[in-house]
Amino acid sequence: MPEPLKRKRKDGTPYERPAGIEDWLKKLEIVDASERLRQFATLGRKSPGYVPSEVLIHFLRRAWAEGMHGDFEKHFRILMKRVEQSLCSAISDARLAGARGIRDEIMGRFAERIAKDCRGRVGLLDFYEVHFDQAFAAFRTSVLRQIGPSTVETVPLGTDEDDGLEISAEVEAAAAEFLGGDPEKIDDPAFRSALTSAIDSLPDDQKQVIGLLLQGFQIDSKDKDVMTIARILQCDERTVRNRRDRACKALKIILQEENAQ
Amino acid sequence: MIAEQPPDRSEEEVLLAFSVEPTHDRKTLEQYLADYPEHAKALIACSIELMVDATRSVETVATSDNAVDRAWQRFQSVVSQPEEASVINPFATLNPTSFKSLAKKLDINNLMLIRLRDRAIVAATIPRHFVQRLAAGLGATTDAVMDYLRSPPAMVSGHSFRSTVKPAVTEQITFEKAVETSQLTPDQQEALKALQD
Repeated sequence: MPEPLKRKRKDGTPYERPAGIEDWLKKLEIVDASERLRQFATLGRKSPGYVPSEVLIHFLRRAWAEGMHGDFEKHFRILMKRVEQSLCSAISDARLAGARGIRDEIMGRFAERIAKDCRGRVGLLDFYEVHFDQAFAAFRTSVLRQIGPSTVETVPLGTDEDDGLEISAEVEAAAAEFLGGDPEKIDDPAFRSALTSAIDSLPDDQKQVIGLLLQGFQIDSKDKDVMTIARILQCDERTVRNRRDRACKALKIILQEENAQ
Repeated sequence: MIAEQPPDRSEEEVLLAFSVEPTHDRKTLEQYLADYPEHAKALIACSIELMVDATRSVETVATSDNAVDRAWQRFQSVVSQPEEASVINPFATLNPTSFKSLAKKLDINNLMLIRLRDRAIVAATIPRHFVQRLAAGLGATTDAVMDYLRSPPAMVSGHSFRSTVKPAVTEQITFEKAVETSQLTPDQQEALKALQD
């Protein structure tokens, strides 16, 4: 039986692996290590027989705990290959200057986390046995905040005009229409994929505003108990509107270009 | 594996906890923003990253083994590191005023206290009675102070007060020698020597 996770939530309840992951663990713990490694070696996510990374990291930890250091290295190398693939997509050479160095650093820091887990020190790897991709996206975000190039536009707090550019009424109307627009279109996977990819290319300050709007946060509210975008980002609501409008303008151009292709 | 969580969760830990939540909708984000306002920007960045990531397709790209090799080397260097010392510097919280008042309380001068702080004195030669008084003055346990005094001498930096002693890794001397060469008054020297175990 796979050992339960040790890490606990804020309310004291332990984290649990999803049922599908537990099924994989039960299935693979009865086969020998070489067969498991053969199955883990499938790199393509869409390939038949692809084993989720949650399972791979579980057996990686187990190999270390059982003193099987040779098997551990093999698991480690397969896992890191997957991590590299994922990073090549999230931090592509086209997206960021110096992307390769950043990917290397993220991989290195992740290797350090694994080492610390092996030494039994405040292991955070339990999270990766719950949802590997999401946990790794969180880890990547945290590292990027420390080492990534800053694309945040520095705007004094409380200003109503970010950079002196005036947003025309037409653009503001277009933004409102764009964000409040056709829900069916937003739900369309192809459109949503193109939209999120376009959002990803925005400067950080605009990305924050659009991300929060898409999650349903209001820009501002007279009710002091409502968590609004202006309050979360600690800036004037006019600054938020300006960022939103400029983001929408940029998004429209990107999406129109994509449609034209 | 340590299951207990530290009271102050690091940014990384908060983001990891957020990432494995069943949903990352407004309600979940609001809850985390309320619980961890100090990590607000990181949480927003993470929520957007998770949203974008869900639609990002991971293509299988050709890579060399170099990056994996470098990660393996980094793993090996960390996993083989000796355990970090758990010794806490009990002097770290003292400001210049409290440092001077502690010296006064112990009836020694600043130089003698600096030598103790910088572990310039062989711990085994320091009278137990004196260590007890020092610990009481520092608000620490005698054992904790003794552990600190026993650890290797090191250059201590970051002190914000002026010192007549140039900061350097000093060779350790005995307690008796320190008493004799710290410009203490004859009465102070006599009192300290009387404490000898």
